[in-house]
Amino acid sequence: MKRILTGGLAALALCALPVSAEEAWKPTTFSLDNGMQVVVVPDHRAPVVTHMVWYKVGSSDEVAGKSGIAHLFEHVMFQQTDKLAPGEFDEIVSRNGGQSNAFTSWDYTAYFERVAKEQLGTMMGLEADRMVNLVIDDDPKGSFISERDVVKEERRQRIDNNPGVILQEQVLSKLWAGHPYEITVIGKMDEVAALSPEDGRSFYHEYYSPENAILVVAGDVTPEEVRTLAEETYGKIQPTGTAHNHRKWQNVPLLTQTETMIYRDPKVRQPSWSRYYNGVSETRTPREALALDVGLEILGGGMTSRLYQSVVEQQKLAIDASSYAWTDLHDEGPAVLSASPAPGVSMDDLETAVMAQVQKVLDEGFTDEEVVRARNKLAATAIYARDSQSTMANVFGSTLALGGTVEDVLSYPERMKSITNEEAIAAVRKVFSPDRHYIEAQLLPPEDEAPQDAAAE
Amino acid sequence: MKIRLVSPFLLAASLSACAYFHPASAPAVVEAPAAEAPALKVDVHKGDFATIQQFVTPGGASVWLVSEPSIPILSVDMAWEGGEAADPKGLEGLGDAVGYLMNEGAGDLDSLAFQTRMEDLNMSFGCDTSNDWTSCSASMLTENASDAMDLVATAFAEPRFDEGPFERFRREQQVGLETRETSAGYLAWRAQVQALYSDHPYARETSAESLAALTPDLVREHMHKLMVKDRLLVTAVGDITPEELAPMIDEVIASLPESSDLAETPDLTFPALDAPATAEVDLPQPQTLVQFIGPGLQRDDPDFFTAYVLNYTYGGGGFESRLMKTLRVQQGLTYGVYTGLNPGKHFASWSGSGQTKNESAGAFINGIKAEMEDFVANGVTEEELDAAKAYLTGSYALGFDSNAKIAGQMMGVRQEDLGIDYFDTRNAMVNAVTLDDVNRVAKEYLDPSKYYFIAVGQPQGLDAPAEAAPETAASE
Repeated sequence: MKRILTGGLAALALCALPVSAEEAWKPTTFSLDNGMQVVVVPDHRAPVVTHMVWYKVGSSDEVAGKSGIAHLFEHVMFQQTDKLAPGEFDEIVSRNGGQSNAFTSWDYTAYFERVAKEQLGTMMGLEADRMVNLVIDDDPKGSFISERDVVKEERRQRIDNNPGVILQEQVLSKLWAGHPYEITVIGKMDEVAALSPEDGRSFYHEYYSPENAILVVAGDVTPEEVRTLAEETYGKIQPTGTAHNHRKWQNVPLLTQTETMIYRDPKVRQPSWSRYYNGVSETRTPREALALDVGLEILGGGMTSRLYQSVVEQQKLAIDASSYAWTDLHDEGPAVLSASPAPGVSMDDLETAVMAQVQKVLDEGFTDEEVVRARNKLAATAIYARDSQSTMANVFGSTLALGGTVEDVLSYPERMKSITNEEAIAAVRKVFSPDRHYIEAQLLPPEDEAPQDAAAE
Repeated sequence: MKIRLVSPFLLAASLSACAYFHPASAPAVVEAPAAEAPALKVDVHKGDFATIQQFVTPGGASVWLVSEPSIPILSVDMAWEGGEAADPKGLEGLGDAVGYLMNEGAGDLDSLAFQTRMEDLNMSFGCDTSNDWTSCSASMLTENASDAMDLVATAFAEPRFDEGPFERFRREQQVGLETRETSAGYLAWRAQVQALYSDHPYARETSAESLAALTPDLVREHMHKLMVKDRLLVTAVGDITPEELAPMIDEVIASLPESSDLAETPDLTFPALDAPATAEVDLPQPQTLVQFIGPGLQRDDPDFFTAYVLNYTYGGGGFESRLMKTLRVQQGLTYGVYTGLNPGKHFASWSGSGQTKNESAGAFINGIKAEMEDFVANGVTEEELDAAKAYLTGSYALGFDSNAKIAGQMMGVRQEDLGIDYFDTRNAMVNAVTLDDVNRVAKEYLDPSKYYFIAVGQPQGLDAPAEAAPETAASE
């Protein structure tokens, strides 16, 4: 009897929650008087919060010759303010049991702290302080200079140690030539090395102001609690009046010629092949971006995909083959086909096999069954994503930083499920159309070590 | 088979108040009268960080479950002690093959059909092996839980180990033999095991010969040694009750053998080092990966928590660690340098790593050693100890804010056998650490002459005297 009673109570709890839970997941949005946007994403499973401030500035806003300033500046934000000595920011966050970090993209810069909910006000105080009171001095032994060295090490670690990433940096630079995305976020080594404290100060003055920022709080809090704390901290900051929000976003021009880029490195023991085409952006053309995601999921989204089954499983010409598109930048990212040859297989034979599958799709389209499976799979990612508080904070923060809305996020599963077979194939046909140019990338071992056939260009 | 997903009471409530909840399960319940269901004894451990429901299924599986109804998903993790170290000599890679092939076809479903079925159900299922453990995990939407667990059960009961996926595994492994030769992490690992424990099973690795010796039949035989009932641990987190989960687990494990004999992994002691030189491994890249490893402590060592707290100030505490403060913040020598305890059951070590440009490798290593010597000579301050405790206890809740994290935390506690009340006693153990203990452990463990240093890259200045290091390094 007791067991059933327990079950019954559990049942009521289970039953009551999901209904309200659907509502309980809905974020609340409002703005402070100084123009700072606020999003509160409830998640009451644990007594913790993820606190983020997103600035509407990224590496695409940098001026010529100053590549890397957006990202180096992000590092400098952890250093010193009128109130805090160098190192004190991290010390206070850690003393309060918090974790903090930040990241910079082409489109935005975000800072976050994860803490027990009682510490939210303290975190807001710290984040508000560095929004307005940052100190960047000219001391040649000071933190701006040492962080510049740190960033150079970061660049070596992320890019220069890794032949595949070096090649990708070169390819993207060509794909985005003339567009503000042309230089990778971390910047060119020589330009980073020449950045000065004065560059840091003017960047801060131009972009760091409440009307250019979005506050996202996800976790065990109510919108009222967030509003009260935000008004006591961020709300006291006067806008600088200099944050113009004139983004340099523009359509990425289509490639006008096809070319092959080859990078050889003694660290390469497994060659790889890719083609980068002009893709689409979910911000600019949302339905088309979703349709392309569906199409590329079917073409090369995993083990069950057309490419993998044909080129890896049946023909055994590759050890991997895939397709995907970067659709989550503000402007158009690449749509990419890639494959790694099985031992002894030439790049030419690999390319022929991959492109035969692409052509088959362009000629014959997809089955309805494939489209339903792919869109359901992509839609379900939205449910699994809810398990991570920081993922949810990131999804809302990045969407709003790109000019989107909370509703865009909430409607994603339904929009994804409504993508038709016709839309999916149309998106793929457009991106891989015969009149489109592309950049082919080959990552190879040094010439003398390469098998004869792989050296063919 | 059909699985009872909800109890009749729950169903009644579901139908009346929230019809959308578990709609797929409704027909199944009608077939199973409540009176015939065996009572499941559930011990509920209500703690500060999670409420764990502990039970043994009628089929004999020991399960820890946290019911979390607010997201309609379920994750189930299974683990068995015994992993790669149990590969028979000459058959290295056998355990990895078992893990790789567990979702590559079962029953009537070949690899493609099995993977397609998982996509249709929006679920994932896969297995892998580490040195000491074999693990499987499945994630699913609760509306598909019954069908998803049916598929997992088929994977255990009727795995196919077809020639196609088996050969694909072997091809990928063969490519791996090539690519690992230019992986800094792998090269550091190999230098470490060759210097410290080359005769131990942990030092064994796949080779062209061992891959050639594998067959699908050997994989099948080994699966039945790794995955057995009497070593099985199960944890689950999600939108489900013990009564709903138990029959699903029993279906999944029904086909597993009761027990097996696996080779015991011998214990390994960190060797005394006589030549404290840094091992160099050449790799053409702009940075040098520096790894350093010394003696560590096992979980049941009375000094374990002392070492754990000390590690925060040493290199575990991000920007609050001394290594990071000195080598990154003050000297700009690295993007990051970290240390951590590895309290393995058969081998305990304390290790760290970081990367720096080749030109400053010598200065970087000297800087690490200088910090270690300072710990040995002067210990940590009361303030540093307080800061470590404040972070380690204050941040503990951050590890429990998602189903995935809770599932992982529970499995960790089960694997280390720390007890079901561990989550609630752990902070007290951190707080009980004293300054005297920390400084005694620092003196005993952080002596750089007990550490083995490895530099992978094209390091320069490894012979430079320590005194000259910071100045050289800061000027670039």
